[in-house]
Amino acid sequence: MGTRRRHLFVLLFVLGLVVVSGIVIASKETKLGLDLQGGLELVYQGQPTKAGESVSGEDIDQSISIIEQRINKLGVAEPEVARLGENELTVSLPGITDAERAAEQVGTTAQLYFYDWEPNLIGIQRAVGGHPGQTPPKEALSKLEETWKESGRPIEAFAEQLIGAGAFPNAYQAALLASEQKPVENCKTCSVARPRFYLFERASPHKLIDGPEFKKKDLYVSPSGEKRPKNGIVIEVPTGVVLVSEYPLNGETGNYEEEVEPGWYALKDEPALNGNEITEPKQTYEPTTNQPVVSFGFTGEGREAFSTVTRQIAQRGQASALGPANAQEAQALSGHFAVVLDNEVKSRPIINFAENPDGIDGRNGAQIAGLGNLNEAQELATTLQIGALPINLKLISESQVSATLGSQALHDGIKAGIIGLALVVIFLLLYYRFLGLIASIALGAYGVIFFALIKLIPITLTLPGIAGLVLTIGVAADSNIVIFERIKEEVRAGRSMSSAISAGYKRGISTIVDANVVTLLTAFILFVLATAGVKGFAFTLGVGTIVSLLTAVVFTQALLGSMSRSRILRSPGVLGASGPGRRWHFDFMGASRWFFSLSGVILLIGGFALATKQLNFGIDFESGTRMTAALQKTTNEEGVREALSSVGINGEEVQQVSDPNFGDNVFQIQSHELEPGEVKTAQNELSSQFGIVENGFESTSVGPTFGQQVADSALKALIFSLLVICGYVALRFDPKFAVPVLIAIFHDILITAGVYSLTGKEVSSGTVAAFLTILGYSIYDTIIVFDRIRENVPRMPRAAFSQIVNRSMSEVLTRSLATSFSTLLAVTSLLIFGGATLQDFAFAMLVGIASGTYSSIFIASPVLTAWKEREPGFVRRRLRIAEVEGGRVPAYADEIEMAKLGRDEEREAEPSAAAEEPAVEATASAVATVERTDDSGNGADPRTNGDGDAVSAERRKRNEERRARRKARRKHGRR
Amino acid sequence: MALVVFFIMGIALWHFTVFVPDRFWQGIVGAFLGAVLGSIIFGLIVQEASGKSLGDTDVSTALIAVPGVLIGLAIVYAIGIRSERQLD
Repeated sequence: MGTRRRHLFVLLFVLGLVVVSGIVIASKETKLGLDLQGGLELVYQGQPTKAGESVSGEDIDQSISIIEQRINKLGVAEPEVARLGENELTVSLPGITDAERAAEQVGTTAQLYFYDWEPNLIGIQRAVGGHPGQTPPKEALSKLEETWKESGRPIEAFAEQLIGAGAFPNAYQAALLASEQKPVENCKTCSVARPRFYLFERASPHKLIDGPEFKKKDLYVSPSGEKRPKNGIVIEVPTGVVLVSEYPLNGETGNYEEEVEPGWYALKDEPALNGNEITEPKQTYEPTTNQPVVSFGFTGEGREAFSTVTRQIAQRGQASALGPANAQEAQALSGHFAVVLDNEVKSRPIINFAENPDGIDGRNGAQIAGLGNLNEAQELATTLQIGALPINLKLISESQVSATLGSQALHDGIKAGIIGLALVVIFLLLYYRFLGLIASIALGAYGVIFFALIKLIPITLTLPGIAGLVLTIGVAADSNIVIFERIKEEVRAGRSMSSAISAGYKRGISTIVDANVVTLLTAFILFVLATAGVKGFAFTLGVGTIVSLLTAVVFTQALLGSMSRSRILRSPGVLGASGPGRRWHFDFMGASRWFFSLSGVILLIGGFALATKQLNFGIDFESGTRMTAALQKTTNEEGVREALSSVGINGEEVQQVSDPNFGDNVFQIQSHELEPGEVKTAQNELSSQFGIVENGFESTSVGPTFGQQVADSALKALIFSLLVICGYVALRFDPKFAVPVLIAIFHDILITAGVYSLTGKEVSSGTVAAFLTILGYSIYDTIIVFDRIRENVPRMPRAAFSQIVNRSMSEVLTRSLATSFSTLLAVTSLLIFGGATLQDFAFAMLVGIASGTYSSIFIASPVLTAWKEREPGFVRRRLRIAEVEGGRVPAYADEIEMAKLGRDEEREAEPSAAAEEPAVEATASAVATVERTDDSGNGADPRTNGDGDAVSAERRKRNEERRARRKARRKHGRR
Repeated sequence: MALVVFFIMGIALWHFTVFVPDRFWQGIVGAFLGAVLGSIIFGLIVQEASGKSLGDTDVSTALIAVPGVLIGLAIVYAIGIRSERQLD
């Protein structure tokens, strides 16, 4: 495929992607995280039930399945349960506002009980369904049928089946019967030892609205804060009775028919055994029939209880038969053994007395057969596992986000992103002109494709994710800058436009790949090791970096390549490449000792600040509770403190803050860790005293375990990031290049720590994540410089290492500053417009980028120089140069010769005479391997120094003589 | 936190080794190791001896690191000089 065709193909491909992305954006909804839409996030730690045991991954996966089932009953839209770390799991409940109740329902282990069915039926139910195989009394049957008719349920096949078993048509009828029963005081064997309340609609057929609840007031507000009718009928079910539902069985499939409304029973609450008494429930196959069954074992007590209850059921069946019965007759007469999970009958097999006249000995476990299909067997096995959950779930963090504040955060994030993008585009247009336009088009394509991917995957968009997204705008722009600077260099070197574009991409791509790989590696490490919120940040950053490679490299190359012969690109001025361009002639290595001193002083200040002021760690690390309440009545911090003290919440820090949505009467309260119940109490008290604005309450509680875990994961992420980054640099460059990178990273980390200590800004898990990512990203600059050093080393075989580094720095400094500036624009936008949480991220990024840029230029490169200059080869070069230059080593090697070498790709360079450069001494000092001899080391072009003319002429003469000698040697076949 | 203070003080003072002739063992990188290790080891010993915990820091924690850095640098410098002599 020709170049032109290839460019056309790429352009069409990206255009197609943009169109498809547009369709995806228009048709799919964005999945928002809790921090953007409001809701409740709970983090649980799995703990073993017995000492000495550990929590396995299987236990956590099983718990996730259990909790998902429980959440489904809360009626929450799009809940999310995910594993977090080794033995934690996180539960996200959008829209939930009652943290206490939700936490109670999610964290409680499912209630699994086994009942001897018939004897536990009550009243009319027992009369109709309590005697298997016998015709029920007519009066009882008609009465039951009457209730079904009154409820408006048609008596079709499924209803007949339920009526035959003695079921009521709805919960209301069953609750009425249950409420008439005498309470069992201090019941030790009941599944629930407290009365429960149910709320029904006032109008017939009295549809169930809510229940069971232990507190009557909980009936009127849903966990998501939805108000329920106050005029409903409340029925109290006393201790000793439970309401259970059962779906009819589909005769053809053998499955429960869950599309049909269930029947309801009021049962005596006398379970034969509970879920804690069974072990290892699993789906298996009956060896003789190969039918799916569920088998399980028993604990010691469970085995005895199971054996007793099945014997009783078998004996009762036997007694109801008039004489000996075959298996088929016995099937009709046998009693049932019911498996009830969370008040719902999951299975009700018979105990066939003909097959098991003495019941079933639980020694070899038991199995439930007669299941419809494999799915049902698997589902039942899971159900049974629920009751026998092998771990305890401990709530270690709870975060409740107000929908209004979440929406505000989303608005702020989008605004910051758009402004950041606009600033970067303006910068690119002003600085790179036509190339800037190309880059802006690429950024537009990047934005569309990336946003479509966010919707398509889908990536749950969180606040940290938005921060990652904005950062990737900088990353995408950086890739363009690296290439554009290369193209400009090639154009200035006299290449044709098409040749310059081709060479610019060819040479720039390795730098971009190196820099992006490091960013990707850091993002990957963060994703694997970090906590939930940070994972979103890392994932967005990772995906964004990959997309940016497509749009910023492949797409722009095709776009520019296809236009390279057009009129627009005839003039170098269009690319901003007219004139010689900015060439730095600063003696970077010579001046590095002063920059070292500056860093040393900053770090000393940071060291003393850390020793005296320490770091202001947020509740993520220190544990505690933070509440934000927007109050209706005006009060002050003392008023809030007193209100909280009145309900026993003392020692809290109260701070009045302002919020764009809620005004100035907003208070942020930070205290020791409060239980969900205590948060609720605080909320109620503030509401009763001052009134809380609708959606104006948020809270976050972090336990010490979670705080420790956040700190551990941050440390692990840091160590792994350092190792991986150094490993990569060592492999791609030279092992010696990795050490300066490591030192520069330490420098950045400590300067940032010092800045945080001095400013007293809070350090949260997000801060650490943002900073770790910036470490990866800030190495971008180091890699750009090192890449050029690597390229220049073979091109300058006689130059001192300091000269190579000075040359490299002068060539890439503009590029390095431009990349940092474009990223700073995006980050500054976050800092100014991003809202409180994003500002935390942005501050860490800002410090990281500033420190990273500085350290890559003034720390990493000088350290590398000082170290490499000790190598025997470079020592010899320095001595040789010093000998020629009268004991001095110039800051720059000869420029004319360098340009010639660069063009001709000649591998043998001329001696480093540096005829027009300031001379420096080859003195031994740790870093400043070159020193200026004049006092004009201010970055100005040293060639303007008129004092050096006479010396230069002499050097030029010496060089010419040397070249002549070399030419003569070549002529005679010697090198 | 004391460890971080020792570390930062070690690195901070290391920056000023650029004014010392480069005769450290392994040059600037050796000086870096000497400064950081000297600071941490000496700091930990003094912190332990004074009965303070690692989380307990004040201005003396930062000052304690200074002699540690100097000792570390002196050791690396001495090794460097000895190596040079052996080479000569």
